[in-house]
Amino acid sequence: MPGPVTVFSAKKIITMDSAVEEATHVAVRDGIILEVGTLDDCAAWGPYTLNDQFAGSILIPGLIESHAHLLDGLLWAKAAYVGAIDRRDPSGKLCKGVNNIPALIGRLKEIEARMPDATTPLVGWGVDPSLNDPIVPITRHDLDEVSKTRPIFLLHASCHIAYVNSPTLALANYAAIKAPGVLRDASGAPTGELQEVAAMMAAIKAVAADMIGGSTDATQFFNFARVAQARGTTTIVDGGGSTYFEPAFLKAALAATAAPDFPARIHAHNNGITVPTADDMIKFAAMLEGKGNDKLAFGGLKILVDGSNQGFTGRLRPPGYLGSGANGLWNRAPDELKELVPALHKAGLQVVAHCNADQAAEAFIDAVAIAQDQKPRFDHRHFMVHGQLLDESLLRRMTALGIHATLFSNHMYYWGDFHRSHTFGAFRAAAMNPAATALRLGMVVAAHSDTPVSPVDPLLTMWCAANRISASGRVLGAKERVSAYDALKMMTFNAAFLLHRDHEIGSIRVGKRADFAVLGHDPLAVDPTAIKDIPVRATILGGRVFPVAD
Amino acid sequence: MVDFPERGGRGRLPLTVIGGYLGAGKTTLLNRLLTQTHGVRLAVLVNDFGSVNVDADLIANRDGETIRLTNGCVCCSIGDDLAFTLHDLADRADGPDHIVVEASGVAEPNRLAGYAASHPRLALDGIVVVADAETVRTRADDKYVGDLIRLQLASADVIALSKTDLIDAEACRRVRRWIEGEVPRARILEAAQAGHFTEFLFSGRTQPPRPACEGAEDHRRIFATWTFTREQPLDGAALRATIAALPPAVIRAKGFVSLAEAPGRRFVLQLVGSRWSLEPEEAGTAPAALSLGRSVVVCIGLADQLDTAQLATLFAPTSPSVFPPAVAALLRGEKSP
Repeated sequence: MPGPVTVFSAKKIITMDSAVEEATHVAVRDGIILEVGTLDDCAAWGPYTLNDQFAGSILIPGLIESHAHLLDGLLWAKAAYVGAIDRRDPSGKLCKGVNNIPALIGRLKEIEARMPDATTPLVGWGVDPSLNDPIVPITRHDLDEVSKTRPIFLLHASCHIAYVNSPTLALANYAAIKAPGVLRDASGAPTGELQEVAAMMAAIKAVAADMIGGSTDATQFFNFARVAQARGTTTIVDGGGSTYFEPAFLKAALAATAAPDFPARIHAHNNGITVPTADDMIKFAAMLEGKGNDKLAFGGLKILVDGSNQGFTGRLRPPGYLGSGANGLWNRAPDELKELVPALHKAGLQVVAHCNADQAAEAFIDAVAIAQDQKPRFDHRHFMVHGQLLDESLLRRMTALGIHATLFSNHMYYWGDFHRSHTFGAFRAAAMNPAATALRLGMVVAAHSDTPVSPVDPLLTMWCAANRISASGRVLGAKERVSAYDALKMMTFNAAFLLHRDHEIGSIRVGKRADFAVLGHDPLAVDPTAIKDIPVRATILGGRVFPVAD
Repeated sequence: MVDFPERGGRGRLPLTVIGGYLGAGKTTLLNRLLTQTHGVRLAVLVNDFGSVNVDADLIANRDGETIRLTNGCVCCSIGDDLAFTLHDLADRADGPDHIVVEASGVAEPNRLAGYAASHPRLALDGIVVVADAETVRTRADDKYVGDLIRLQLASADVIALSKTDLIDAEACRRVRRWIEGEVPRARILEAAQAGHFTEFLFSGRTQPPRPACEGAEDHRRIFATWTFTREQPLDGAALRATIAALPPAVIRAKGFVSLAEAPGRRFVLQLVGSRWSLEPEEAGTAPAALSLGRSVVVCIGLADQLDTAQLATLFAPTSPSVFPPAVAALLRGEKSP
């Protein structure tokens, strides 16, 4: 027995479907779109309830965050955000960025003053001195100003560095730890900066033990979805680091997402990051296939090829990193990719490959070429994540082989200036994330935030792709800017396509899921530089309204 | 006779990193280390648990990604977090005597070696990089991994050249010469002779050197040892200079030494390939029979390369002369200052 019909009215409905591009009403039944057109068009389906709470707003397809990490939700649950970038917490409260050391100390003092006892460690996340002005190291002396008795532990936005105060160094007995990542001052005393896990381990064990090991805390799932939903996201990818193949973790994920008030769909990639071999990857992917629910689905198998560009660990073709000519690191050897990718391809899986710099991209493309040679497959939708230094040659090889991409457009804003002056230099900074060329060549392109690396906010990502403006206001590679329409398509239909979900989400069309974002302004009509400031009033997920606090 | 202690107890827990690119032969070496009789309770941490190939009758039990062998060795998967696994082993009362970590094919072994300093008990014993004699030169010029291969070789204390049986003797000489050119002072062992690798890794622990007097002793076909003994404290600066100048034929050395500059204390010398340290002794680790003031250094090297006369010459200046420095220099045939 079909359920009741609800008709939502809007000032304008942007469908992102070329058959009917605009409408004023959409009829929904049982979570599925029944009709799109005028109120009369909708009435043709019989009795309905009119919901006109968004009559003055713009309805667009629910936005899709095509690459993010559940870790974001865990960080909000376990630590205080003290980074340089403005972020909204899961309750919607704005955490203003602190981009210099005195401001950081001030923020930490406020947090410290609210803590109920004198001994609980103060754990923070999101710190990134490369975004500070001036760029200077954070030391234990700075953090000792906050407290000389309470242990403090701050995690860098990259999660590869920690900053600690003297009580943490004493508690974790750093006098006896000689790891090279423990930075030291001229006197040989630790500065408080701990680089990489070997150096951080003792401090993590002493003061932040709940940051490691597969947490099954339900809050992480809610936080992850809530932060994204507040900016219009109805589907968010969990990009492959989670361990859904562990029964306890899967049970927690299913329980959290099954709640009627769970505010977004999670699309989880299968884990090819911590799972070492193709056989196990294929086994786990088969085990999880169809194991989800209405708001949790599994698809794609995520592998890591290189590191991160701002961390100087992306694999670059010559001439390497600006100045030094150095190169980054491989997470999977190119020779291993030549066997791993064909094995996954043959097993019918979709390969999702993290390739930050161009040499990593080239190695992955080589591997897909071998796979296609051994077993040609149409519509496999393998796609590259980040692809920040793709050029026309690589893009053409990708389109020939059927590889698509989600680009890291947020880098243009947050790290554009840093890349220009520290990592890539002028030309390559302007050439980053070439969405316009990729679209022109027929590739299906999306863009992403990679949260917690940068904040999840698809309208901001759309703005980055359309404007390519760095934090200092410099336009990087003007010809690679895309139109607002193309940018919106990247964050909706194209992202759905990459997830093999374009038949059910990504546009407003009869028969698809009723997933919408409700905006205060028309993203196709405002000046493109204003897209990131458009307020999100609500999301509608399977016909259910999820409000956004003002 | 000098007996070196066999078990570290709660003291120093040595860690060896085995690196090298994919297919170089790390797993073969690890499988040998695990199953040979060497009397060391070894914990081997591997990347790919599935590649461990141990005879069923050597396995005492198996629990998830951990295999316990009847010889007391343990093999387990590194898992998500190497630091966590290492700390767990170092904190255990019934932990191993020695840890061997397999670096992934794309790892820079130096980065892993950093983990040895992440826990007070752990100490880096050395980095062994396995190189495929047949392919290493080509790989070193590969556009994707050439820089990585060179980095791996450069970080090695000892290079284990594998698959030398697949190439002829001349090709083998050429690749050795090439490595010696790339990595000055490289210590190169042939992994095909890795039956003796355990001796190299654990020598000084399981093969207490016999001779109490100086001299070479061929007690293995591959390795030879030479022992230096002095009853008077040594000159620290001269000893450091000697150790730094030891020829590549010396692949391992261990000793307990007394230094004139620090009377009443004893120092421990450890050398693995090009890596060495000379540090104050932890209380109670020296053999009881070793009287204070006496120094014993055992050098272990390849039998066909170890030049004992050269070693004797190198160690000669470590004994403080009874003459003033200028006279001592003259006696050594050096020009007066």
